Amino acid sequence: MNISSSRTRGSIYVWLVPLLALAVSAWLIIREFQHHGPLIEIEFFNGAGIEAGKTPLLFKGVVVGQVREVALKPQLDGVIVQVELEDGAKSLAVEGSEFWLSRPEIGFSGVKGLDTLLSGARLIVRAGSGAPATRFKALPRSPAHEGTGPGRSYTLRTPGLGSLRPGTGVYFREVKVGFIEDNRLSPDSTEVLVDFRILEPYHLLVRADSRFWNSGGVSMKIGLLGANVHSDSLESLMSGGVSFATPDESATAAVAPEGTVFELNEHADKAWEKWAPKIPLPTTEAP
Amino acid sequence: MSDAHTCPACRRALPAKSSPEVCPHCAMPLAHRQPDSQARSAAFGLAAVIMLVPAYALPVMSIENLGRAHQDTIFSGVWKLWHSGMWGVALIVFTASLLVPAFKLTTLAVLLAASRWPRRFASPSLERLYHIIHVIGRWSMLDIFLVAFLCGIVRFGGLATVVARPGALAFATVVILTILATNAYDPRALRDSSPASP
Repeated sequence: MNISSSRTRGSIYVWLVPLLALAVSAWLIIREFQHHGPLIEIEFFNGAGIEAGKTPLLFKGVVVGQVREVALKPQLDGVIVQVELEDGAKSLAVEGSEFWLSRPEIGFSGVKGLDTLLSGARLIVRAGSGAPATRFKALPRSPAHEGTGPGRSYTLRTPGLGSLRPGTGVYFREVKVGFIEDNRLSPDSTEVLVDFRILEPYHLLVRADSRFWNSGGVSMKIGLLGANVHSDSLESLMSGGVSFATPDESATAAVAPEGTVFELNEHADKAWEKWAPKIPLPTTEAP
Repeated sequence: MSDAHTCPACRRALPAKSSPEVCPHCAMPLAHRQPDSQARSAAFGLAAVIMLVPAYALPVMSIENLGRAHQDTIFSGVWKLWHSGMWGVALIVFTASLLVPAFKLTTLAVLLAASRWPRRFASPSLERLYHIIHVIGRWSMLDIFLVAFLCGIVRFGGLATVVARPGALAFATVVILTILATNAYDPRALRDSSPASP
């Protein structure tokens, strides 16, 4: 029996197979790690519903990262959530970015985060525009302006909060042009400060001498000549609200700067309701 | 040991005495020993070992369940199955995806060493080993079938979706490469080199 262990040229080419395998596996592994973007840390007061490896981070409704790790702060006064951003979402890791936890919320002013009822908690981010950063503090709750366009924030002073919860509308001629964002006690605790936001372009309607009044609820006058029931829009009847008017002569005055503090009146003056300043609004919605 | 043999392609008997260059039935080129069988086997085996790294390191599939996605490598999958009490399934997956490829590649290495340095190994048991790895090789595909099956069936949109990840591709390549490596290996080489053979 002759044994021919002939070596043909094929035996050289066959060693291309392991080389190819090396290239392919290197490519697979590199590609897997390229997907990984920067890690950021977000501090939450309460981490209910956040799960490592499951909870996504959303930006404009699109997943841009995922929770890697959930750890307690050393002093047990909070939770630190480590989030891995996707490669394309690097620019979200900047100062001024706001993070919050989205949970289902159902109120008079609308339903929010209903999709999280099934999917569990989600982290939401709103992009800032500062220097790159890796540590953030989460907002205590989802901001009222979630999912709305740009606008300007102002503050109201009122002796009592009434029904002005975050999300409650702010109306101009019964058109909803803004909403309450937040409320807190004034530093000397004698008043309540209510932050609200007017969406663009309606911020043009707010002037330094604009008057604000509480338009929630119903006012009734019963007299000899009959009863007079007055209420603003049905929505503000249900959930309360703030209305404002701007004097005619202010139509040419400057637009109130962001952060202006206004007094909240209990009722509208008869005169205020007759004010009809001509303020041109851009026809297009927010720029 | 007789000289009677069959064509490796069509499995029909070849004339016993003569040694034709090609099979008279199907024109397959014939050789006493497959040329470069060890080299080809070693090359495929090496490629399989290389591909094992991404196959085990990368996720095989990701399961998206009610909006939550999580992905599993082969190891984490076995670990999770074991911890959720599905010992049987865990054992099957462990055997099919870890033991079988490992056993196959080690055996192949031993066989290649045996035909390279003859006198140190006993041939009959080696031939049996070869037949074992030849038969069990295809069972490693179990994992790939599982992933392919799940990807095809679990498509409930937002409720649950299974997606194959690169690890599955790498693992399928490993299985195919080991099958190629065992097929390339010519067990007759063992007999040639065995000290007991005539």
